[in-house]
Amino acid sequence: MKQALLLSIMLSLRFSSFSQPYIISGTVTDSSNGETLIGATVAVAALNIGTLTNEYGFYSIGLSIQDSILLEFSYVGFQTVQRIIYLTDNLKLNVALDRGIELEEVVIKASSFQEKMQSTEMSVEEINTRQTKAIPVILGESDVLKVIQLKPGIPSGSEGTTGLFVRGGGSDQNLIVLDEATVYNANHLFGFFSTFNTDAVKDLKLYKGGFPAQYGGRLSSVIDVKLKEGNNQEFSGSGGLGLIASRLTLEGPIQQGESSFIISGRRTYVDLFTKAVNRANQNKKDFNPIPDYYFYDLNTKINFTLGEKDRLYLSGYFGRDVFGFEGDFFDFNFDWGNATGTVRWNHVFNPTLFANTTFTYSDYQYNIVNDLTGFSFRLGSDIKDANLKVDFYYVPNPRHTIRFGGNITHHQFTVGRLKAGSDDGSISFSSGQNFTGIEMGTYLSDDFDISNKLKLSSGLRFSGFTNHGKTYLNLEPRLSARYIINPELSFKASYARMYQYLHLVANSGVTLPTDIWYPSTDRVKPQRSDQLALGLSYLLKKSYLVTFETYYKNLKNQIEFVDGAELFANDALENEFAIGRGDAYGLEIGIEKEEGKLTGWIGYTLALVVRGAFKPLDESANFAQQGYFSPIYDRRHDLSVVLLYDISKRLSASATFVYGSGDLRWLPIGRFVFQDVYGSKFEAVVPVYEDRNNYRLPPYHRLDLGLIWRFYPKWGESDLTFNVINVYDRRNTFFIYFEPKFESKQDITGNDIEIPKRIVAKQVSLFPILPSVTWNFKF
Amino acid sequence: MNRVSSIILLLTTLYIFGCNLEQEIKIELPDYEGRPAVECYLEPGQPFTLLLTKSASYFDPFPSFNTNDFLDAILENDAEVIITHNGTSYKLKNTLVFNPFTGKVFNYYAPDLVPKDYEHDFELKIVTPAGKTIEARTRILPTISIDSVVAEFPEKSSKLIDTLARVLTYLSDPPGQTNFFRRVVNDERLESIPDQDFVTDDTFINNNKLIFGTGYDYAKGDTVFNTIYHIEKAYFEFLESLFRARTSNGNPFVQPSPIISNVKGSANAIGIFTFLSYDRKFTVIR
Repeated sequence: MKQALLLSIMLSLRFSSFSQPYIISGTVTDSSNGETLIGATVAVAALNIGTLTNEYGFYSIGLSIQDSILLEFSYVGFQTVQRIIYLTDNLKLNVALDRGIELEEVVIKASSFQEKMQSTEMSVEEINTRQTKAIPVILGESDVLKVIQLKPGIPSGSEGTTGLFVRGGGSDQNLIVLDEATVYNANHLFGFFSTFNTDAVKDLKLYKGGFPAQYGGRLSSVIDVKLKEGNNQEFSGSGGLGLIASRLTLEGPIQQGESSFIISGRRTYVDLFTKAVNRANQNKKDFNPIPDYYFYDLNTKINFTLGEKDRLYLSGYFGRDVFGFEGDFFDFNFDWGNATGTVRWNHVFNPTLFANTTFTYSDYQYNIVNDLTGFSFRLGSDIKDANLKVDFYYVPNPRHTIRFGGNITHHQFTVGRLKAGSDDGSISFSSGQNFTGIEMGTYLSDDFDISNKLKLSSGLRFSGFTNHGKTYLNLEPRLSARYIINPELSFKASYARMYQYLHLVANSGVTLPTDIWYPSTDRVKPQRSDQLALGLSYLLKKSYLVTFETYYKNLKNQIEFVDGAELFANDALENEFAIGRGDAYGLEIGIEKEEGKLTGWIGYTLALVVRGAFKPLDESANFAQQGYFSPIYDRRHDLSVVLLYDISKRLSASATFVYGSGDLRWLPIGRFVFQDVYGSKFEAVVPVYEDRNNYRLPPYHRLDLGLIWRFYPKWGESDLTFNVINVYDRRNTFFIYFEPKFESKQDITGNDIEIPKRIVAKQVSLFPILPSVTWNFKF
Repeated sequence: MNRVSSIILLLTTLYIFGCNLEQEIKIELPDYEGRPAVECYLEPGQPFTLLLTKSASYFDPFPSFNTNDFLDAILENDAEVIITHNGTSYKLKNTLVFNPFTGKVFNYYAPDLVPKDYEHDFELKIVTPAGKTIEARTRILPTISIDSVVAEFPEKSSKLIDTLARVLTYLSDPPGQTNFFRRVVNDERLESIPDQDFVTDDTFINNNKLIFGTGYDYAKGDTVFNTIYHIEKAYFEFLESLFRARTSNGNPFVQPSPIISNVKGSANAIGIFTFLSYDRKFTVIR
């Protein structure tokens, strides 16, 4: 594999020496607000030459002719711009596209099917804001992570949560970056909402395979979220009032056409009601106060044009979940959240070379404080990253796009920081571990048009991690190819090796804020994956893109917890780890329609994932499971149908249907009687757990409907978004528990005792039929 | 406002219960082969006793509470049980023994008294009627005495009810080794369901002192029984796993645990073979 890769890079460099007389370069933007457009097409149809704008809206295209040419700039949802150019020299050409008439403002981003057919990229999913806002969601809170779960190969975690288990990978194996800063916990309220405020998000792209070389650090997916830059043409605002939260976004020019700002906030307000209820009932004897809970997000971004070749961006995110509960004897507070900051500088060296330099800082932490009478308890963990990254984008000729760069990240971990003691100082204890680690990566990749039919994208990433004197250095080859069989059919293949140096210590299928990030050490080796994917893309009647992808993913150095693992305030956490391997297989089928009144997609995934060969790091620890087993998120069948229909300019409707095989659960299989010692409680039913994840829950299915009713008042636009979740009131399983049923008897001494008669299983569901309405506005 | 908030609360409650988000379901679990379950606690100065039962499939019907049927259904009889210590073997006879003082039942018994020996292992060997073996080993650890038990009433200035006290139990942790403890608190009588029953190691010590506290739960005149068992790691892990197996029932945030036993052998048994080494103090709240 390495030889093939080297050959590919050498070939690429040889071809790149072809000279190109003239280069046209620039940016493509939205004329209404100045936002750069990612993935817009720049093409010379007559020469069958084209390129796409990169993630910063920049393009560069080389032409070897000296004649008049017709250059086309297009982007789905926008009116195509054509320019006739007579080339006599290199040309800088910035183009602003007007929004399309039919789709109005709703389309922010979409890639045309032709682009998808042509690209070597495979295993990529993109979400646009129109889809996000139109697809019905629980309690009306639109959420990009929930929408991405509807794409093939990305099953969700527990009902209603934003956990992602991409192609058999764990929830910790997703690299989530917000304006290039890592987000370690992208969830609010235990995963029911994501940290991404849809009003502030410009673009979301998820790679589930065929990873470009510039990405590293996680095994299973990269979720790249870009924030809007702010309207540099005029001051505007948008927002919404929902059942549980409200949001407001303001944006506008600092200097018209040159610089802009955006600030966006969101907050839930259920706590306002619960506080009122608690106050009203505080004197009632049997009233149990309702805990206070709220979360909020704040996104902000400023960008400046520093000259013809330079642009500077400053962006930040701050979000917190806050949970508080106060009683006569205690005052319990629990907060968690992320803070990220990004400083980004784009520089155009010349028409063929573009650079992006980024410094990011991210901090995820949780804190639990419980003040009891005479005693206090404080527990927390955090991870802080400072990251410097440089990316170069070089287009030597129309057949090559070369990317190279690198990054270095300083990680600082505080794991299980505990401090507890009495107020008088007579009792005091503490625990916790501190780590620092350096993670680095450098890469080189080339997108090479070998012929009109064959395109090869090859790359190599060199990554490393050092922690407490232990250093790991690894090569990560990446390769993907596209072959156009005919204009309607293309074949794609990709291979990617990934290393992951950070591990999430989480012992349940539900994402919790108290999950701890833990670095690789001399005993805990980096996780590794090798993924091979093959795919076919078929353009049916020019309106439907049908894709087939099959993959195999091999996972090494996977972590499970030993039996009876103690994760709380444990200074020897590694002793609770068992290390093993895994295999994931899958077939994904997608049918997509992007244009017209009716749009949407159907996605189906057939998948299998197994893990096994686990050995505890601590030889005295127990790991009873023998052989291979499936993780709880091993979902054999997963079907999503998403339909969006524009009835009129004022009305649009949507429907989502999902069906999935039930998740797995680890249920007890036997029981025994435990008498215990004198002074302790007799247990009539002690459950015996044997094989992990031994029971598959009933299938999950649900139909959701949505309707958007738009208004056009003088001051701007507004809409009422109606959602009905779980239309046919399906009781999907959230969890199962068991309840022994007892009967009263008298023992031989005449005392009343409770004797178990039978055990019943009970299923708890989370969402019944759930209507909601949200009012959104824009001015 | 008061009325409005009450209505909101009422409507929310009605919605949740009216939606019936909880329902009984039928579950088909994989086939389960019953396993022997051992409980044997060696207490110096007391006769050898052992309880050998058998586990059942989780949803099997429970036996009726007719004494003979009940015991037949859960006891594993006719096994050969031998405990060996320092070259002496004690054969435990298969007979039903009821201790009227503790209320505990055992089905294997030897009248010999367990020697107080911290130097040599005790070895258990059981051969089941099916010819399968169960083997285990333990060594008695010395008792760690309770230094003191203190009842404290809250300060007058606090929000707490000043007629209820908490009980603090102090003991010295022997240095140079990891010690494991089981702490049990009973109110009024040892037969009561314990107010506290948990295991811990000595991670959180303060100047070599371990301090266990209760809530402000005890009134003047109450008798509080404090028992501190000095236990071995195997018993600690066994009790922890039992606790996790019981409490993970239905909790989506907790990973269940198999029972971590110290009994091995071809019978694939579960259970514990250990000793009881404890100090117990009772305190009358004054």
